Amino acid sequence: MNTETTLTASPERAAKSRKTLLGYVPMVSPFYAFHPATRLILFIFLGVTPLFIFIPEMNILLLFVNLALLRWGKVDIQQLKIYMPIIFTVAIFMFTVVILAPGKDPNYTPLEVLGKTIYYQPVFFTFAAYWRLIAMLFGTILFFSTNRERELLVGLRALRLPFVASYVVGLSIRAAGMFMEDFRTIREAEQARGLDTKAMRFSDQVKLYMMYLIPLFSIALRRANEISNALFARGYTLTGRTSTGKPREDYIRSTYSYSKRDFVAIAFMIIIFVVTGLTQIFFNVFAIEHSPLNIFLRQALGIPS
Amino acid sequence: MDAAIKFKDLQWRYEHRTNFALKGINLEIIKNDFIGVVGANEHGKTTLVSAICGLIPHSYNGIYKGSVEVFGKKVFDSDALELATNVGFVFSDPEAQFTAMTVEEELAFGLENMGFEHAKIKERIDWAAETTLIQDLLDKSPYDISGGQKQRVAIACVLAMNPPIIIMDEPTSMIDPLGKNLIFDILRRLKKAGEHTLIVVEHNVEQLAPLADKMLLMYEGLVDRYLPTREFYSDSNYLQDRGVLAPESTEFVQWLISEKALPASINLPLDLAGGIETTRQALKRR
Repeated sequence: MNTETTLTASPERAAKSRKTLLGYVPMVSPFYAFHPATRLILFIFLGVTPLFIFIPEMNILLLFVNLALLRWGKVDIQQLKIYMPIIFTVAIFMFTVVILAPGKDPNYTPLEVLGKTIYYQPVFFTFAAYWRLIAMLFGTILFFSTNRERELLVGLRALRLPFVASYVVGLSIRAAGMFMEDFRTIREAEQARGLDTKAMRFSDQVKLYMMYLIPLFSIALRRANEISNALFARGYTLTGRTSTGKPREDYIRSTYSYSKRDFVAIAFMIIIFVVTGLTQIFFNVFAIEHSPLNIFLRQALGIPS
Repeated sequence: MDAAIKFKDLQWRYEHRTNFALKGINLEIIKNDFIGVVGANEHGKTTLVSAICGLIPHSYNGIYKGSVEVFGKKVFDSDALELATNVGFVFSDPEAQFTAMTVEEELAFGLENMGFEHAKIKERIDWAAETTLIQDLLDKSPYDISGGQKQRVAIACVLAMNPPIIIMDEPTSMIDPLGKNLIFDILRRLKKAGEHTLIVVEHNVEQLAPLADKMLLMYEGLVDRYLPTREFYSDSNYLQDRGVLAPESTEFVQWLISEKALPASINLPLDLAGGIETTRQALKRR
């Protein structure tokens, strides 16, 4: 297998990215040389590993690893701009909560910042938790920026998830994409009839969004009925039984194969994951107390460890 | 001749409706015939074909009386797999029938349900893709292609399963004129192959009529007229009263007959080429 394979069925279409239900994936990427199961394991690895790490610097490092992988995977970094509102909203929400409601603990160290009393320990803990979340978020972004829905399903089936369950995942992704599309259609129809949301007050905009739910849910119900009919018309039963009584073939999965590089990558990820997990569980190496930034700030502010 | 489908006094009323959508259908469809189904909206066309593929009564709630048999087996007693093996159904909204993430997966889905092995699935996909001219779409998302392409994919999904009966419910209603031509090209090829019983619900009679062996008119939940195509269109006024138009060339020649410009015994044309030829011959005779 080549180190880089192309997903294009028609090479004359020279666009760099391909639209998926949830975003875009590059037309050509070194990730495509790996089996979808390997890519899914990478996703799980990047998503679960931060849970063992409480040192924010390490999660920031993991974030850079994700960014490097995105770049290596030929993902258009510009498109990551769409995630900036989430990144900032999460930060605002988490820090607002911890500043306004820090909880009570006699060991907390109060600090005066701009005339407001904040407590060092919960704020630093929130800082660490935030970077852990962001590292996990970028792991997810990496996965959905380098995998189409089809590869997710193949990966799930390769990891022995029952066909019915993987199918439900697929239909859910599809439903999410269609929900967004219907939402866009309704908004465009309103704009075409002269509705200017920018000129509306915030409270009116909220009311408008609530009103969108009614047509969106009725469309979703209709679509659910249509999909159910389509499944029936093509002989699908929830039991996964085939007309011959034999186990169901998985044609799409059969079009992918593992190579040596898959086994090497999977082994590498498992080793790193196990080592990280065990060192944390038995030696507490990645505890927040070992964060160099935490140590520096405590020393600078005179907070005992 | 072998009957592929037999309706015996079929009556169907949807749940929460006061009227029966089908009010006693008695009908026999011969194997490998091409049937065109026409009628005004809300007169039971889709309900009729849904009763053949089993969506009625298996996917809808309602009151079901009488029976429909497909190759001698009652639809009521058949399960989804048996029905899908015998009857393929193409919906009017192609997107409504997609459940997979790529066109290839979409085509493979029904074949996997039927229990085929990889090699056979590949062979069937290639054949269906070639027949419907979608070879270059296999790797694409079915949601990311044009309306006409979507409908061809939907037809390919059914063709891949190769059921002896194929039903298409207004397959061209959501696509542009060129896309429509492609769909009718596929129908033409299928008819020529003569291996399928084709039932097509369609308002575009200009292209449907020349292909159909027989036409069926649904009116107020009943089969109002079920005749060989030329005979079916022999009374345009009757059809117009029931909200159905005849092909323009047929109407034109009928007008010439009514004006005594052509003899009443003349063979009614069903398409433009036939209309021109009929008129030319008539003019020559004069």
